[in-house]
Amino acid sequence: MAKSAIALEGKTGRRISLKKMSHFGYWLNMLYRIFVYALLLDLIFVFLYPFLYMFVTSFMTDADLVDTTVKWVPRAFHYQNYIIAFKYMNTLLGLRNSLIQTGLSVLGHILSCSFIAYGLARYKFPGRNIMFVIVLFSFIIPAQTIIVPLYMNYSRMGWMNSILPLIVPTFFGFGLRGGLFVFIFRQFYMGIPNELEEAALIDGCGSFRTYLRIILPISRTSILVSAVLAMVWHWNDYFEPAVYITKPLQFPLPKMLPGMYAQMKLVKEAFVRDPITGQLYPKILNEAVVMAGTVIVILPLLLAYLLLQRYFMQGIERTGIVE
Amino acid sequence: MKRRGLSIRKRRERDGYIFVLPWMLGCLFFFAGPLVQSFRLSFSKLTKVAGFQMEWAGFENYMKAFVYDVTFIPMFLEVVRNMFVNTPLIVIFSLFIAILINKNIRFRWLFRVVFFFPVLLGTGYVMQELLGYQVDQQTMEVARGILLPQEMLQYFGPRISQIVQLFLDRLTIILWKSGVQILLFLAGLQGISSSLYEAARCDSATEWEMFWKITLPMISPVILLNIIYTIIDSFTDAENPIIDFIYNTAFVVTQFEYAAAIGWIYFIFIFIILGIVFALMKRYIYHTGR
Repeated sequence: MAKSAIALEGKTGRRISLKKMSHFGYWLNMLYRIFVYALLLDLIFVFLYPFLYMFVTSFMTDADLVDTTVKWVPRAFHYQNYIIAFKYMNTLLGLRNSLIQTGLSVLGHILSCSFIAYGLARYKFPGRNIMFVIVLFSFIIPAQTIIVPLYMNYSRMGWMNSILPLIVPTFFGFGLRGGLFVFIFRQFYMGIPNELEEAALIDGCGSFRTYLRIILPISRTSILVSAVLAMVWHWNDYFEPAVYITKPLQFPLPKMLPGMYAQMKLVKEAFVRDPITGQLYPKILNEAVVMAGTVIVILPLLLAYLLLQRYFMQGIERTGIVE
Repeated sequence: MKRRGLSIRKRRERDGYIFVLPWMLGCLFFFAGPLVQSFRLSFSKLTKVAGFQMEWAGFENYMKAFVYDVTFIPMFLEVVRNMFVNTPLIVIFSLFIAILINKNIRFRWLFRVVFFFPVLLGTGYVMQELLGYQVDQQTMEVARGILLPQEMLQYFGPRISQIVQLFLDRLTIILWKSGVQILLFLAGLQGISSSLYEAARCDSATEWEMFWKITLPMISPVILLNIIYTIIDSFTDAENPIIDFIYNTAFVVTQFEYAAAIGWIYFIFIFIILGIVFALMKRYIYHTGR
């Protein structure tokens, strides 16, 4: 009788297939495999598409944009778009601001959230469960609910138009999605064996030294995961920076993107006046330049992710981050 | 013999408090304090904007939100509707993709790198630019072309193809928003020991059965976590009209007290929804005894 294929995939990844089948079963299996691979191709495509689009469009000229036959391969690599975007986005300044803001925030998150989570996870003291619930609340409550008093407090303290309101909370376990990182670290710390700390205690480590020398080095996975997430979220954050920073010289890089239009307005040659309606039309700002701008904004993040990606995924696949 | 100093337990407690001290300070200044202030603010009226002076106004702001302001309720309903539609789809799809990445398929390495890409786009300016150029719809058009040819859909009749169309239109956005969920599921899948699967295979279970009897129960806590995360994510999303509305109300029109009231309504609602979800799902969480 005909049996269908049973493909066993062992942990080693080798495919051991027992094929005892008729032709019909064989073709059915082939169809199934084709379907699955088409589905996978689709998924990869959906994930990659925005990047491909951004990248390809950024090299197009005006003519290419209007030309409907040109979709994936521009006529030539019109890299001038990048120069234009670079100039009008005040890229170096924005990059500097973003790097400082994101870098310090990530540092703050890693240091404070692991510290706090360690205390919550491994030390029993009255109130620790309530505190953890409040930590979760800090993640659930959107920043919009408390933005007004925060704005009032910060302006009273003179912190407006600086990166302080964005960075200082991260060193205390708050900030953008800080509660989530405390959660991640806590789950991880709850899973480490007691023997580790007991050995440290026997060797004479106090609590802080145990944290610094023993716990922190083994938390590499959680640190990586938190770092990547914090980096991505802080780099692309637009709500809080928009509230606290209003001087264009201190905008982070993503905020410079919509500012391109305003910047171009200051330059005479960038616009043409339509003789009939009297409206201003941007002469050099087109979709390609905007896309070049977005590529510039995303590029540092993309590079950082590609560099960290391997350790990031390896860490997750080995130890996991949640119990 | 008198012991000086604290007992070991008391010492541990003290150390615990020291670890948590930064958080407690932060909570006071960056969370609880502003929360209370915001609460008070939502019940008052600003007399002088510059000096932030307030006077008590009772429920006036809340009444304004529900009764007077025509734009608030429809926006709110739209946000809620989006949440209800997107959340199950995101959770289901991210589970599917996480399982896919976990298995040994040929292009697995590519998946592992690529699935996180849309998260890099974030939900801020870059995303807004892309959506402005309707990249998400373009993606769907091409992807749809590969998988499901248009002609086949038309064959099924207008009703079904309409539903499928609606579904596929959202699909791109849903997949783009699934990055972190896929991550969480991947981590959760690691926690399932392979011996369970081996034992099941010995008892001749099929892949389908193994999914329902082993995988799903073992990651049910992660499913709950993902549902909660997705709900929160959709509520604090940048394209969310309510978020924009609060920003405008607070900083463009400078009606701080109204913005505070709306923020609180929003939060209470999220809280209620999460409470319901949690209560409903608690029955289905399979607890692996620790």
